[in-house]
Amino acid sequence: MAKKQNTSNERAARAAAALAAQQKAEKRRNLITVVSVVAVLVLVIGGVYVYLTNLDDPADVAAAGAGEGTYGVTIGDDDAPHSLVIYEDFLCPYCGEFESATRTKLEKAANAGNVQIEYRPFNLLSSISDYSERSASAFFVVLDKEGPTVAKKFHDILYENQPSEDSETFPDNQQLLDWAVEAGADEDTVSDGILNESKKAFVAKATTAATDAGVQGTPTVILDGEQVSGSSVDDIAQTVIDTVS
Amino acid sequence: MTVLHSPAPGHDERSRRGARALLGRLDGPAPWIGLGARLVVGGVWVVAALLKLPDPQGSVQAVRNYQVLPESVVPMLGHLLPAVELALGLLLLLGLLTRQAAVVSAVLLAVFVVAIAQVWARGINTNCGCFGGEGPVAHPQLAYFTEILRDLGLLALSVWLVVRPRTRLALDPVLFPATAVVPDESEEG
Repeated sequence: MAKKQNTSNERAARAAAALAAQQKAEKRRNLITVVSVVAVLVLVIGGVYVYLTNLDDPADVAAAGAGEGTYGVTIGDDDAPHSLVIYEDFLCPYCGEFESATRTKLEKAANAGNVQIEYRPFNLLSSISDYSERSASAFFVVLDKEGPTVAKKFHDILYENQPSEDSETFPDNQQLLDWAVEAGADEDTVSDGILNESKKAFVAKATTAATDAGVQGTPTVILDGEQVSGSSVDDIAQTVIDTVS
Repeated sequence: MTVLHSPAPGHDERSRRGARALLGRLDGPAPWIGLGARLVVGGVWVVAALLKLPDPQGSVQAVRNYQVLPESVVPMLGHLLPAVELALGLLLLLGLLTRQAAVVSAVLLAVFVVAIAQVWARGINTNCGCFGGEGPVAHPQLAYFTEILRDLGLLALSVWLVVRPRTRLALDPVLFPATAVVPDESEEG
């Protein structure tokens, strides 16, 4: 009886020891597996991160400097110390915000000879309405027929009257014509072009040129060859104004 | 006295039950629901990441459009998010570290819901950038609503996986087998 009890106890003890040893071994093995999996994960995450960071080189926006573009209106002297290029869409609310935050100060800086500015409208928001395309077409008609001064004024009026993206209806071509006339364009000279959207093909080229330059959204603001980024439109506007004023 | 990885028939029932209790039982419909949850949530993460890979600048802009974080961290996050999403999706599809991946998934989705809710509340018009793309959309409020609904659905599936991480066709039980069994000989005596 006593002997059997002993044997039983020994067995139990041996079993417990074996179990403990095995659990320890398994713990170690599981730890090694987890560490290996995490190492692979870190490699995947790190690899993708490095890949994306290299792909997203700021030099991606390789736009021509102010006054050198084909698809924009330029204000300010050629020999101004700063060059500012603004890619924009007449329907884009951030562009409208940027416009109202900067227009007066930028005009002042341009007139003082501190900066040359080129505004390059294109058709980014075609998925929302054809207003982007029609307004840009009208803008290029005015630029072509009436020159940069009237075109810039027309540009300003378009932003002052910018429709909301949520609008049910957008300003029609007649309205665009009225605004062009308000900007100082001769009605007979520009009406055909604006009403028939004669610069649509030109808008398409401007859009391709913007995309080719690496422009992905609006407003894209390029100051002295570097894209300006900021946490908000006001932030970008402030950076620009601080530099050129 | 041998240490067995596959318990011999006859005296394994209690130990196996004990081991299963650690990770949840593999019978009943729950592990199949778990498999479905893994495939849906993991698949969405992988697709979301892959769509962003060709366009890192778009991904950065999408983060920026939420207008929450300082510009100093925006580009880093814009590049890091697709990487994390890809890794997370692969883990879930494979059923590897399921519970941990599901926790991260749920936390990320909760953050996204809050981010979308705050642009909605502030009246900012932006594409959520969830699957690449960015910028304003035609009907932001409807879009925000459906995006939040979708993320909440994915969040629910993630939480399910946190609670029931034991699923069918998963790598976890292969790489981390349940505690093997020492035959308890005293039972025989």
